[in-house]
Amino acid sequence: MSIQPPAEDLSTDVVATAAEEVGATKIEGRTPWQLVRMRLRRDKTTMFILVVVLFGLIMGITAPILSRLGVLDPFSGNRELIDVTGGGLPLGRFGGVSWAHPLGVVPGTGQDVLSRLVLGVTYSLGIAVSATLLAIGLGTFVGVVAGYSRGWLDFWLSRLIDLTLTFPQTLMLIALSPIVVRLLTDRFGVPEGDIANGMYVVGVLGLFGWPIFARVIRSQVLSIREREFIEAARSLGANNRRIYAKELLPNLWAPILIYSTLLMPQFISAEAALSYLGVGIKPPTPTLGNVLRDSIQYAESDFIFFFFPALFIAILVLSLNLLGDGLRDALDPKADR
Amino acid sequence: MNRTKASSVIALSAVAVLGLSACGGGTTGNNNGDTGATGGAATAGGDLLYLTKRPAEHLDPQRMYIGRDIFTTGRTVYRSLFQFPAGEKDATKAQTPIPDIATEVPTSSDGKTWTVTLKEGVKWQDGKDVVCEDFKYGVSRAFAYDVLDGGPFQYPTQYLDIPKDKDGSPAYKGPYSKKGQALFDKAVTCKGNEITYKFNKPWGDFPLAVAGLRVFDPYREDQDKGAKNNFVIFSNGPYKLDGTWTKGKGGKFVRNDQYDPKTDEGTRQANPDTITFEEGVDESIITDRIVAGAGNDANAITDRVVRPPSYSKVEPLKDQTTLVDSPYVFYLVPNMSRVKDVNVRKALATATDNEGWVGALGGDKAAVAATSIINPSLPGFQENPIFSKIPAAGDPAAAKKILTDAGVKMPYPIKLTYQGGDPTLDKAMGVIKEGWDKAGFKTSLDPLTETYYDIVNKPNNDSDVFQGGWGSDYPSAATVIPLLFDSRQLSASQVGNNYGQYKNKAVDQAIDKAALITDPIKAGEAYSAIDKTISEDYGYIPNYIQRFYFIRGKNVTGYEQTEATSMFADLGTVGVK
Repeated sequence: MSIQPPAEDLSTDVVATAAEEVGATKIEGRTPWQLVRMRLRRDKTTMFILVVVLFGLIMGITAPILSRLGVLDPFSGNRELIDVTGGGLPLGRFGGVSWAHPLGVVPGTGQDVLSRLVLGVTYSLGIAVSATLLAIGLGTFVGVVAGYSRGWLDFWLSRLIDLTLTFPQTLMLIALSPIVVRLLTDRFGVPEGDIANGMYVVGVLGLFGWPIFARVIRSQVLSIREREFIEAARSLGANNRRIYAKELLPNLWAPILIYSTLLMPQFISAEAALSYLGVGIKPPTPTLGNVLRDSIQYAESDFIFFFFPALFIAILVLSLNLLGDGLRDALDPKADR
Repeated sequence: MNRTKASSVIALSAVAVLGLSACGGGTTGNNNGDTGATGGAATAGGDLLYLTKRPAEHLDPQRMYIGRDIFTTGRTVYRSLFQFPAGEKDATKAQTPIPDIATEVPTSSDGKTWTVTLKEGVKWQDGKDVVCEDFKYGVSRAFAYDVLDGGPFQYPTQYLDIPKDKDGSPAYKGPYSKKGQALFDKAVTCKGNEITYKFNKPWGDFPLAVAGLRVFDPYREDQDKGAKNNFVIFSNGPYKLDGTWTKGKGGKFVRNDQYDPKTDEGTRQANPDTITFEEGVDESIITDRIVAGAGNDANAITDRVVRPPSYSKVEPLKDQTTLVDSPYVFYLVPNMSRVKDVNVRKALATATDNEGWVGALGGDKAAVAATSIINPSLPGFQENPIFSKIPAAGDPAAAKKILTDAGVKMPYPIKLTYQGGDPTLDKAMGVIKEGWDKAGFKTSLDPLTETYYDIVNKPNNDSDVFQGGWGSDYPSAATVIPLLFDSRQLSASQVGNNYGQYKNKAVDQAIDKAALITDPIKAGEAYSAIDKTISEDYGYIPNYIQRFYFIRGKNVTGYEQTEATSMFADLGTVGVK
């Protein structure tokens, strides 16, 4: 385990749970999931991170509802809160921090920073989760097929993985953005604006995010397919589909879960970076990247406005990363770190 | 009609100072900023540094159409028949051409024939005299559409008395193909040191166009390599290019020993020994460097505005900053082929929050709300009666009433297309959206980057509103209204500068009538009347006049920003301590 809990904690914790679940002396079999849960519960850091991530998720889910109800107001300007003679900087100290605007207001417009960031979490998480699902789905599919099938299919799929890895995806993202977005709206009838732009980012992040994961899955499958239970299934006459779905996949949950939590923060930072380069969902819709893009120019003159968006992204990315680490420790204690 | 490049006329962005066409300025001196503060009398010597972000696109005199480049080169390397006087504080005088290579600014009785006498002793950098034939050759290059592009070629090609082909283009095809050369030779004639231009219609603004553009400048035929000469400077002014000019990096001007200051009065003091142009420096970095003032940066001037986030840094350096109104007006144009109901356009105009827009751009140091597409500083300007009635902050409630009374289904969808890429402008567009949405519109913002000009230039695009920016080519509304709203520039394949595809026969006719007025004030009044007609149709929505908030290095002396140089720093007076 990565972070050992203090000894006394360990004793109370483990004894308490052990007493409940297993009993002091009785020897009892535990399912892998029971083991995982036990290891997770013992890992205080990961538990804390889990709470943070859950909080972020709830924030992201409720933000659109709250802004519809008017609790959050990410779009209305408050002209009385900015200094029109001083470059539109917020009036008052610390970027216009007040009870009404706990994280200050946006220079120039006086919009509420907190509202924009909270709604930004929705958009950024939405993009990251969708892109992760796409990447994981593709990666799993290609990895399983390549790993299990051997021969020419494995060869060509592996070359496909190599090819995808060599693509300069950031450049492609920027260069192709207007063309593909136009194609989406004109050819495929995707509603213009946020939806088309968001789909583009999700699509490209997903389509270029899967290869490394596919390699991991492939190598897992390579070792699993030689195991006895696969052989047993095969000799009992199970077809390939059954082997994929019932025999292989259940044994791949650990890497899938770990990689999902590790890909997500990657995509959140990617969204922020792309917004900075002008690709993706466009302002005034507040993705975290959009808010950060505006705030970077104020890094010197209105530090608070720069600080909070950066902090939000940092917390989100860090906690998802740590959660991934924690999950890896819990799911696969043998993995060397 | 005219062939100005779309990119030279649309606002590049709210802060891209130079995105527009050439010059402009005023006769009424409405600048309420501190134009004074020259930093002391200028003396000869020293190295001036010119910091900028946007690279010059052309240094070929005929091809230049960017105000900054027209005036930086006009004060240093390119002499014309006439120039605007340097350092002239009176706006009217600053807009009145004075002789440069000409012995005097002539008058023309019918406005069609202009004869100009050249001074003796004006030399090219290789020591040869600047002669009448050089002027003739220079303007002939404007006809070579197949070889050269980018310049304000519409002025010589429209006005010079040369027959037109069936497709409307002049029968003369430029000095490279020499097709129709005899026709050109009749329109522009040389007799000794006298050059005569014959126009097909009266053009009282001719001296203004000569002084405000570089398209009538002389060019040496034996030095001409066509498009290859884009960044070649063959000087007849007080400076010459040292080595070569590199696009995106810049170049260095040093003294031209063939230049005789005795032939030059009132336009060029030529104080610094060298002028170095450094291109591609970001605004925030320009500001930081000048504020720090290390080394040569203390001798720096710039054409880039101080960005709002840097205002607090610049605040303590009051005697190194200036704040003036620029000649550039920014506006929105409804797409007349899509937003056909005048009430909808009226509602858009009524709900437009220019005050909030100005705030988002950085407040009163960045812009001031506008009520007409004609800059109030142009001669004969009259207050626009339609837009000056709308409060600067807009009136969404009134706009909603207009929409309701018109029986329009709400929310009415509007797609607002503008040139994106700048977070400050994105924020400002968010403000416009907010006001419109309050009034019953459903606005979707469509920031485009590289594809902007392609999209707006297509007649069948699906945007409802575009953003534009415009500064007059020379101080006359004749270079604003006709270029933006004459419907005869519309074709099946492109819209020219008339992005909104505004069509009004009455306006077209009034434009033709106004063109014949020679008195600048009366002409200006006529154009303001046309402006009123267009406003009644809500053919555009005025937003703001950009302001120039500039900083200069602490060693800079003789610093002036006047109407003579479109409110950019005047290289004719500047010096270095």
